[in-house]
Amino acid sequence: MNEKDLRTIIEQVLTEMNAGAAGSAAAAPAACAKAAGQASNVEDGCIPDITEVDIRTQYLVENPEHGEEYAELKYNAPCRLGIGKAGARYKTLPQLEFRAAHSAAQDAVFNDVDEEFVKSQGLFIVQTQCDSKDTYLTRPDLGRKLSPEGVAAIKEKCKKNPTVQIYVADGLSSASVAANIPDLLPAILQGLQNYKIDVGTPFFVKYGRVGVMDEISELTGAEVTCTLIGERPGLITAESMSAYIAYKATVGMPEARRTVVSNIHRSGTIPAEAGAHIADIIKIMLEKKASGTDLKL
Amino acid sequence: MNALHEVILSVGIDIGTSTTQLIFSRLTIENRASSYTVPRIQIVDKEVIYRSLIYFTPLKSNTEIDADTVKRIVRDEYHSAGIRPEEVQTGAVIITGETARKQNANDVLEALSDLAGDFVVATAGPDLESVLSARGAGSDKLSEEHRTTVANLDVGGGTTNIAVYQKGTLRGVCCLDIGGRLIKAAEGRLTYLYPKIQDLAKKHGIDLKVGDPADVEKLRRVCALMADQLAQSLHLKPMDEAHAGLYTNGGKPLPAEPEIQAITFSGGVADCVYQKMEGDLFRYGDIGVLLGQAIRENPDLRSVQLFQAAETIRATVVGAGEHTTEVSGSTIHYAEGKLPIKNIPILKVSEEDEASLETFRASITRQMPLYQPEGQLEQIAIAFSGETRTSFAEVQKLAAAIIDAAKEVVASKYPLILVVEADIGKVLGNALNVLLDYKKDVICIDGIKTLSGDYVDIGEPVAEGHVVPVVIKTLIFNS
Repeated sequence: MNEKDLRTIIEQVLTEMNAGAAGSAAAAPAACAKAAGQASNVEDGCIPDITEVDIRTQYLVENPEHGEEYAELKYNAPCRLGIGKAGARYKTLPQLEFRAAHSAAQDAVFNDVDEEFVKSQGLFIVQTQCDSKDTYLTRPDLGRKLSPEGVAAIKEKCKKNPTVQIYVADGLSSASVAANIPDLLPAILQGLQNYKIDVGTPFFVKYGRVGVMDEISELTGAEVTCTLIGERPGLITAESMSAYIAYKATVGMPEARRTVVSNIHRSGTIPAEAGAHIADIIKIMLEKKASGTDLKL
Repeated sequence: MNALHEVILSVGIDIGTSTTQLIFSRLTIENRASSYTVPRIQIVDKEVIYRSLIYFTPLKSNTEIDADTVKRIVRDEYHSAGIRPEEVQTGAVIITGETARKQNANDVLEALSDLAGDFVVATAGPDLESVLSARGAGSDKLSEEHRTTVANLDVGGGTTNIAVYQKGTLRGVCCLDIGGRLIKAAEGRLTYLYPKIQDLAKKHGIDLKVGDPADVEKLRRVCALMADQLAQSLHLKPMDEAHAGLYTNGGKPLPAEPEIQAITFSGGVADCVYQKMEGDLFRYGDIGVLLGQAIRENPDLRSVQLFQAAETIRATVVGAGEHTTEVSGSTIHYAEGKLPIKNIPILKVSEEDEASLETFRASITRQMPLYQPEGQLEQIAIAFSGETRTSFAEVQKLAAAIIDAAKEVVASKYPLILVVEADIGKVLGNALNVLLDYKKDVICIDGIKTLSGDYVDIGEPVAEGHVVPVVIKTLIFNS
């Protein structure tokens, strides 16, 4: 069926629908006019942003036995408890909040990091062998290998054999990169500067998994490689970031050789302070010449 | 990293109006965070391992503490405990109650501070005493566990220190001149009368003079008046006209809110409140036993729940030994070899002044002369919250503002010391280091809340250098 046939069919269907609902079709413009008339009375107010609700302070159970105690207990952790019920179901607000959190998580995974943002952080971009988000999500193996262009770009632009090579990857949360890198990356660099530790040229890896650091380590010849990567988002935050750091990482090395600092976001470990801490870990790693489970911090 | 487990030895020495005591305790610190996150090192256990005998505080006269005897007592107790001063990593010497008003209190603190180990601090002040005794008595924990409001009354020889905890949080403190040794008796006669108590009795038509016979019924009536004043201070009944004058050094009463629902007692008189004392009423040479009975029988104090305190006569010393030390945040910055430092006055930038960098700078500049007696800068620590300036860019600006405003410190021989509440200690320390071109020693710790007028002691790093023990104190005897 070509496009022309399709168009004919649609026109035919529409005509039939209009014929069948002649009365309502006539009424529609009137209703629209009425609605338009009301539209001129629109208030200046806006619908409250449900994502602004701090769920630690949200307690919605009606007629509770020990409401105050429950609310105090609940304040300790952002959990979806004590949110009441409407019959067997959630109340409208928690339901909408849940969906908003879920959407934010989905967005964090499926959206790309804004290239302008990446450039504004002074990073150039390379890509793994994934050609799209779909490939990235379904082929983890390709997310651990750089594209030939990526390899060439790193060879061309990066300082050779630096003491430390840092790079950023989108991982499973683009939102995390935008939220944390402006604080995290400069804080690590400043911390290393403090120790007079030499740092290579940082860059950004699109569609990157943790394992790509092994190839990058081999390519740059860095002693320590550190990747700042978006964590799989949850329903509490979509902005959490991890740093995976390894001493002389090589392709095929055991996962246990990576040291990780996780939960970096504004309500977890503050990114700027986390950066200063990561610089210390790198310093220790260089002194002890080990990482992961081989390194006692 | 999470296997980390370290024990710090802490001493508490309390020189009170009537008794002097000492305890040693073990503070266990541990990393509570998983290996995959930034460490979070906390004090997880506190255990008293040695309790001294309880001594009468040696006095040379009514206005002078016998410092030499105090020193000897402390030395002997260290010996009995088998602990050498250099083994003690932290702790506090606290001179409390009426004793703190003695002429030579500062000299005694000075003398003991050296004897009692390298990082033991001298501290006093009625507000602090209220807090330490309540924590030693366990009132803070009781209020938290029972989800209620608990007032602890530390009824000592010269004063009653009160602290109110609501669900684990301190809500108010006060201190009254009511205590078991404000009237002393020997061989059936009154030998000492504290003027304020004499006046209180007089207002109610009871005449007391030194040398009068110790008339039990008369003294019971006076003790009932004192107990009644305690009930008033807790807002359990309306305050009468005599009440305001009973606060130590014109101090303030407790806030009217939150309403007190339960009480605990500590201090020397507490045991006479909790237990029915048989035998000689004047066995301690004072009205302690009678005051305890009067408090127990007071109808207004009985209107609220009575909890058993974890410690009674030793509450303050346990508080001093166990609850004065905190640990800093686990990501901090310090110059090697510069710790410990002691008795550093805090220059505090208020939260209002933190609103903009201009007011932040101005606040430091304005306060700096206060720390330059005779034009010479003393060692200071600059403290602020930092809660609203946690981004990397803000931290850089903050560091620049500090260096600009604290020029005198930067130019001096002292290290630049910062005490911050927000978790930015390490990144701020790094920023300062870079801006100062690594030419200045910087100590920047976080996770510590301070007030203007406080002093800070920062101990040698523990837990593999992740944290430092910190004691925040006030040396002002009566604020």
